[in-house]
Amino acid sequence: MQQQITLTVNGKQYTGTAEPRRSLVDFLRYDLGLTGTHVGCEHGVCGACTILLNGESVRSCLMFAVQANGAELTTIEGLADGRTLHPIQAAFKQHHALQCGFCTPAMILTTLELLRDNPHPTEEEIRVGLSGNLCMCTGYVNIVRAVKAASETMSSPAAA
Amino acid sequence: MSFVGQPTPRVEDDALLAGQQRFIDDLGVQGLSHVAFVRSPYGHARIRSIDVSAALARPNVYGVLTGDEIAQLTKPQRGRVPLARSPQVFALAYQKVRYVGEPVVAVAAADRAAAEDAADAIEVDYEPLPAVVDPEEALTPDAPLVFEEIGSNVLWHDTFPYGDVEGAFAAADQVIAERYTIQRYASTPLETFGSMVQYEPSTGGFTVWGHTQQPGQDLNTLAAAIGISPGQVRLIIPPMGGGFGNKVRPLYHVILAVLARKIGRPVKWVEDRKESLLGLGHAADGIMEVQAAVKRDGEILGLKFRNIENEGAGIDFAGRHNLLMLSNIVNCYRVRAVQYEGFSVVTNRCPVVANRGIGKPFMCFATERMVDHIAAELGLDRVEIRMRNFIQPDQFPYDTPSGQTYDSGDYPEMLRKALELVPSPAAAGEGEGVGATKAIGYGIAVGVEPGGSNLSYGMLISGPNQLLSGAGEAARIRMESDGTVTVYTGNPDTGQGHATALAQIVAGELGIGVEQVRMASTFDSASHPYVMTSGNYSNKFHANDTAAAIGAARKVRDKLLARAAQRLEASPEDLELREGKVFVRGSEDRSLPIAAVATRAYWSVADDQPDGEPGLEAVYYYKNPISNRPDDQRRVRVQLGFSAAAHIAVVEVDLETFDVKVLRYAVVHDCGNEINPMIVEGQVHGATVHGIAAALLEEFVYDGDGQLLTTSFMDYLKPGATEAPDILTGHLETPSPFTPLGTKGIGEGGAITAPAAIASAVEDALKPLGIRITGLPITPAGLWRTASAGEKRY
Repeated sequence: MQQQITLTVNGKQYTGTAEPRRSLVDFLRYDLGLTGTHVGCEHGVCGACTILLNGESVRSCLMFAVQANGAELTTIEGLADGRTLHPIQAAFKQHHALQCGFCTPAMILTTLELLRDNPHPTEEEIRVGLSGNLCMCTGYVNIVRAVKAASETMSSPAAA
Repeated sequence: MSFVGQPTPRVEDDALLAGQQRFIDDLGVQGLSHVAFVRSPYGHARIRSIDVSAALARPNVYGVLTGDEIAQLTKPQRGRVPLARSPQVFALAYQKVRYVGEPVVAVAAADRAAAEDAADAIEVDYEPLPAVVDPEEALTPDAPLVFEEIGSNVLWHDTFPYGDVEGAFAAADQVIAERYTIQRYASTPLETFGSMVQYEPSTGGFTVWGHTQQPGQDLNTLAAAIGISPGQVRLIIPPMGGGFGNKVRPLYHVILAVLARKIGRPVKWVEDRKESLLGLGHAADGIMEVQAAVKRDGEILGLKFRNIENEGAGIDFAGRHNLLMLSNIVNCYRVRAVQYEGFSVVTNRCPVVANRGIGKPFMCFATERMVDHIAAELGLDRVEIRMRNFIQPDQFPYDTPSGQTYDSGDYPEMLRKALELVPSPAAAGEGEGVGATKAIGYGIAVGVEPGGSNLSYGMLISGPNQLLSGAGEAARIRMESDGTVTVYTGNPDTGQGHATALAQIVAGELGIGVEQVRMASTFDSASHPYVMTSGNYSNKFHANDTAAAIGAARKVRDKLLARAAQRLEASPEDLELREGKVFVRGSEDRSLPIAAVATRAYWSVADDQPDGEPGLEAVYYYKNPISNRPDDQRRVRVQLGFSAAAHIAVVEVDLETFDVKVLRYAVVHDCGNEINPMIVEGQVHGATVHGIAAALLEEFVYDGDGQLLTTSFMDYLKPGATEAPDILTGHLETPSPFTPLGTKGIGEGGAITAPAAIASAVEDALKPLGIRITGLPITPAGLWRTASAGEKRY
């Protein structure tokens, strides 16, 4: 049985239908064609599918698409302004905070929420803030450095 | 100008940062169907019958494939190292299942949900058999046989004595013996394994979009299994979300190809995480007995190893863990007599695959633990005993007893620098009086990091007639008609930044900017050259890939210079390439834009062609010249380059909960000249955290029936940002004389050496309890049990 879904992703409204059992991440990827959100475990541990739902980070593999009806979502596709990297993306590049890049979209969205709620995190706070996102490549050292650097550029007067 | 040595930002990053990179699950073709598997719930069972009728009766189900059909339609698998007594292994379970998670039936349907529903509707009647999961038990006469046709559970067993082993033991003041164990673990790339296959009726072949880290071998495995020419298979490998050696399972492509042909529709399957943990492949668990013949002053005269390697229920990588251990069997030490006895044993566990460092983490663990234990037995300092036995800087190139030629290094200086970077807490006045509930430990380990496999090592098992041999890579370079350059190699992308490193190298060779060079990062057998030693494995990029790219670039450069010489009326030897132009050396006013020469090479075909052909393209197949064959004493260069590192770990152990926290961690490494120091440091961080996680967190746990108890990331523990420590790094650069740029490997060393460093630190912390760390992983529950029982071995 298909259900009608209307939601807003990165400021654009989409409508579609889905079975009640369709996960939100599958709906984003296969129905809306937004493949920047990745699937790593489908049991809510690795965080690769993290998106922002009404401003809060969620595991899009642990939600059904129908639960997001009416919601406002932010995915990685909504972050860069045309060809200019967002300051978090720029910091990840500058500090070599990605290797295979599979975890990166979710890592960046988690960072976006972290720095919004805590613009000047300590290293410990950064590590706790990112603890729900697994990266198999970097050992996190450069991710932590990139988040620290992004927090500095985003709060500098030039960024404001 | 050369861009080698610069921390050039990665050319791969922008697409990844924007979520625009197309991974396998982002691809599709018209009319695609989706595959789900029925997998074995038993560790060992006979398949009595399979009833697929209910599945086929469901709507939108297109077809199924069983082991009986696979056995009729395909040839059995040959291992990468052919065995004298090889069991029959097919892509789907045939007559028996041999591990939990083994694929039994494949079913294709309109979408993944429909395929999974159909798989649930398939009835398999099993007759459970006794399982064997412990490799020592598998060696006993009464053990259940995993493959009846080979008459035992031993796939291979051999002993390699190198040097005067008996003489060394006779001359010893003391022989120290210890038994070490390592668990099953895997690097678990965040993107799981996937494949999409389309049958091509016009050629009778297939287009495969799918994962492999060894394209030449796996393309040929697929063609041979189905009985078609390699030329009928087009293999396309999109950039992978991590590999670490795990993404080498050609039999899945075989299943999908046969199924696609059978149902007349393209098929796709991407593993879910449970399937991946159950069945993609693990690093082998093993049991190693080590004896060391030592003098009272700590000099190590000889070492004997007896290793039982648990290969699980497969043959594809059988023997490889064992043989690769010959590459780091003496680690950094001047030991002239070693003996290695290896068993490859099959059990009812998941088959092993390559995993970052394959075999070498365990060998490093065994040698480094033994060195610590020799020090403990003789009352020597852990640093002092290492300094006493190190190969000395003036001894390079150094031939080890098993036939490795260590290219370069300065191990004493490497260790000294590491000790400076993180001094021992006791020396720094910490550690004393931490209290009754916490103890601080200081760990030391050194490790060589072999790079680049010489696949002739398989001849130690299969004999001198083995077809697969040597080491090499292939590259195609085309200067386009606008003067930019495209690079194609036989090494598919798993995220290590090879596109950036090769752009740095090729740009320098051709006198253009790094941004003018693009890598064709999606491997395509229709455009990318390869040999059977091609691929993304064995830490080989530093040698074979750089040399192949340089070889192709120099051929293109010669063509370019010949054309420019004509137009500049100069001799090619008098020309130089820089800043996008061809200059007559010494005359700044006589130059041509490189792009202009390139344009004419393609457009003005009527021009005189100085090298006989239009265009600016070249292919270069590189053979690593130091790859050899086993000699009459069975010495062979198993691996070809030898980076090294010293690791220092400071841990805090809670003496009530036995939780281990890594407080500080330092790595001083030497990979020769660095192409891109930023990427090098990233590889050191990532590999080291793999090693730390293998030491403290990760373990595939099987029960006695062969059930895997760790089938999600809630049970199989990966390190998060809160478990991984910050890592201090230091560098030493002793260039290799054997590679074009003096480079050595850097992708695996952290994973090889870190487990030994962590064990050394925990053992130091537990000194008051007298517990010796001999096994991995080191878990709170395990330490608590050992301490509570008053045992002295963990």
